[in-house]
Amino acid sequence: MILTLSNTEMEVVRRVLGREPKEAEWKLVDALWSEHCSYKSSKVFLRSLPSTGPNVIMSVEDWQDAGAVDVGDGLALVLKVESHNHPSAIDPFNGAATGVGGILRDIISKGAKPIALLDMIRVGKLDDRGKWLLKNIISGIGFYGNSVGVPVVGGELSFDETYNDNPLVDVACAGIVNKDSIVPSVVREPGLRLVLAGFTGLDGLGGASFASRKLSGMDEIGAVQIADPFAGKIIIDVTLEIAKEVEAIKDLGGGGLAVAVTEMANGLGAVVNLERVPLRFKYLSPEDIIISETQERMLFAVKPEKVESVCAKFREYNYPCEDIGEITAEPKVRFLYNGETVAELPSDLLLSPPLNVWPAERRPRRREPEREVALGEALRAVLTHPDLVSKEWAYSQFDYEVGTSTVVKPGQGDSAVVELPNGKYLALKGDANQDLCAEDAYECGKAIVAEAYRNLATVGARGIALVDHLQFGDPRKPHVYQDFIDAVRGISEASKFFSIPVVGGKVSFHNEDKNGNPIKPTPLVVMAGLVEGKLARNRVEEGDLVLIGETRNELAGTLFSRIFGGGGEVAKTRLMEDLIASNLVIKGINEGKIIWNKDVSKGGLAGALLPILAKGFSVRISSSQVIGTSNILGKMFSESGGRFLVLTGDPQWFMYQAGRMGIQASVIGKVTKDGSKLVLDNEAFPMDKIVENYYSFLEGSL
Amino acid sequence: MRTAVIKFPGTTCELDVVKALKQVGAEAEVVKFNSLDPDRYDGVVIPGGFSFGDYLRAGAIAANSEAMKGIREMADQGKLVLGICNGFQILVESGLLKGALLPNLNLRFITKWVRIRVRRKDTPFTKDSKDVLFMPIAHAEGRYYLDDEELASRLSVFQYVDERGIPSPQANPNGSILNIAGVTNEAGNVLGLMPHPERASFPSISPDGSRDGLEILRVFGK
Repeated sequence: MILTLSNTEMEVVRRVLGREPKEAEWKLVDALWSEHCSYKSSKVFLRSLPSTGPNVIMSVEDWQDAGAVDVGDGLALVLKVESHNHPSAIDPFNGAATGVGGILRDIISKGAKPIALLDMIRVGKLDDRGKWLLKNIISGIGFYGNSVGVPVVGGELSFDETYNDNPLVDVACAGIVNKDSIVPSVVREPGLRLVLAGFTGLDGLGGASFASRKLSGMDEIGAVQIADPFAGKIIIDVTLEIAKEVEAIKDLGGGGLAVAVTEMANGLGAVVNLERVPLRFKYLSPEDIIISETQERMLFAVKPEKVESVCAKFREYNYPCEDIGEITAEPKVRFLYNGETVAELPSDLLLSPPLNVWPAERRPRRREPEREVALGEALRAVLTHPDLVSKEWAYSQFDYEVGTSTVVKPGQGDSAVVELPNGKYLALKGDANQDLCAEDAYECGKAIVAEAYRNLATVGARGIALVDHLQFGDPRKPHVYQDFIDAVRGISEASKFFSIPVVGGKVSFHNEDKNGNPIKPTPLVVMAGLVEGKLARNRVEEGDLVLIGETRNELAGTLFSRIFGGGGEVAKTRLMEDLIASNLVIKGINEGKIIWNKDVSKGGLAGALLPILAKGFSVRISSSQVIGTSNILGKMFSESGGRFLVLTGDPQWFMYQAGRMGIQASVIGKVTKDGSKLVLDNEAFPMDKIVENYYSFLEGSL
Repeated sequence: MRTAVIKFPGTTCELDVVKALKQVGAEAEVVKFNSLDPDRYDGVVIPGGFSFGDYLRAGAIAANSEAMKGIREMADQGKLVLGICNGFQILVESGLLKGALLPNLNLRFITKWVRIRVRRKDTPFTKDSKDVLFMPIAHAEGRYYLDDEELASRLSVFQYVDERGIPSPQANPNGSILNIAGVTNEAGNVLGLMPHPERASFPSISPDGSRDGLEILRVFGK
């Protein structure tokens, strides 16, 4: 029996119970007290995230479920993000596919119809293992999302050797529900029946505990769940059909039945008769039934008189559905097998693990000189980096059109846009920045919120809700824990600044390479927003290039420094600049002044120019017009925030408006249609090979 | 026209198809796979998705379902039968259309907006259609194959073409013979195609604001 409980925790259990727990009881505690399910090392800090606001309908209750915000006309948007990092490192296809299945079931648990998925993928170098991982992660996501008919409308794909052993697979989902029909995950009254839909099998045994420790390198395939999207589609369709007839819905995810039953009872008690659980494999032991993480299962709390009609809907599809127990007033969670007690533990004990606040200490800042690199070489290296190339190889494997609502599609803009049933346009974007977070997790926490805000502004949208996913190494390591705290502080501060409530989140610790080194800290946010007036539809044409904002010479923690090393200043996040610049862009969109626009982020100004060059246009830049630094590398590759690159026919309008609003802007050059060329102060840099690489890199490598 | 839009377990596009059919004034409704009464409808659409999880082969299980007996009956009576994507796969699996749909040449799922040329205007679906239509594909098994090339050419209604309107190899997204994107039966009342007309029926989601899918769906509005 592999447990992740510490000796201290085991002592607490023994002391509270006054006896030695049975094996099944240890497994139960292990699942519920796993970092994955209990947030025991993160909860204290997560409480500081601003989670309220006038539009919030449902915020996280102890970080277990999806949050919801009002989007008008009686509709609520339900939003959630989650990772499936450990399973994807062992079995990338099933790991990624079940990640999609899991997040979809979180959305339908609220009674909401899933309308869009995002996938944010981070892998290491593209050697044989890297290629195997990436190919299977992408096809696993497509396999599940396509089969259930929910479009993958956007995402990120980044390559960094910090993820060689431990890829990050983050999936976010948005759903829509009438706001008065949201179904809770917890019950408030005893006497309700517990109804389980779906077969329980042998896969994913102890998965929550597995996700809460570092990868052992031993054979851990048994802890990975197997994806069955056809069953997933049935469970989505039927759950949405019966949502109004049930009192509570809970997805069976990490920790299986153990966690779902305990969390649903929420301090009340429950009795579960394990022999009634429909099994895919006849000889499953009662202990394994409790912690199996077989996918495509849902738990419902149902009034006794409605059990039959609920299960009848599943049986129409030959899908198993059984009454397996009930919610009790006595605050104990009991699992019985043919009347015999397998496990019996107080609800309170299971729901209240001792919280940890680990020692924290900041890593000493490295002081290195700036790297001097020839401009041509730097342009070649940055612009051919896989982080910046076309991701069509990946997104073309996703059915991003199903639902007939995808207005801004993958590859068309900085944010995805989908049309809601009330006709409003919803913008979605996920952002992380491992380069900056490795330098300064606090500035980075602010920066990723600001970047998401800017990305939404590029389509004309303003953020209304945020979910975060915090991915770090082992929290018991002081440097890791300090980064975690700093990132939470940064995210909190920026969300508060923009008045965007954080309505949900997850934490994933123990992301390490095989030598025990933590990954670069990778907090990630997913922001949802509504287009307020006009929607921007980017197209590249001839026109003037305006750079909004100030370019500081901050090259540490950028793609440039990931490639070339070297120090320099670390970018500070000046939220006021992000806000004003975003306001200016949204105003520009609404007054019809923008032909094309992009926020300046990965790869700096050079990176922002690449999509224009890739369309076969030439760009002429006068570097003296890039305001804020005289250093040419800083001008081209700094990723300091608060900036947008705008293609316009009316540059003077931007100059005038910027001055009125309190920000700088400058006309830095022109776009013309005469082949892909970058001319910088009369020096021409041929772009043909870079453009070819842009389109062919992923297709050619994979 | 009273039109049934069939939902098998695993079908994903039924609501999209109904939404598009309403644009042309069709009386369309979703009909579950186990409750189709063929006499109640004048036309039927089998939408895309992954019927029965596409277990065995794409469309194979649905092709042998009770619902297909009703659809065959409707086809025999000369009523209109349209299969889109997985619906096309079901129609070839059931024998209502000739040929087979094999895995794409690159062995991957592909989503892409493509141009298709309308090669035959003697079917009720294409009678008044424009020559070239712009709409998206999204499939892993769409490589049309028929061992009799002459017959395939005669039955083919749609052909993948490039921007110049030519059925070039570059325009062929999946390796179909003769760039075939859709075929009809001998009588012309049964049509199957891989591209999704319902996804090209709304200007807001079409890359160029067009709604070419309605050219094919319009017949259900009559």
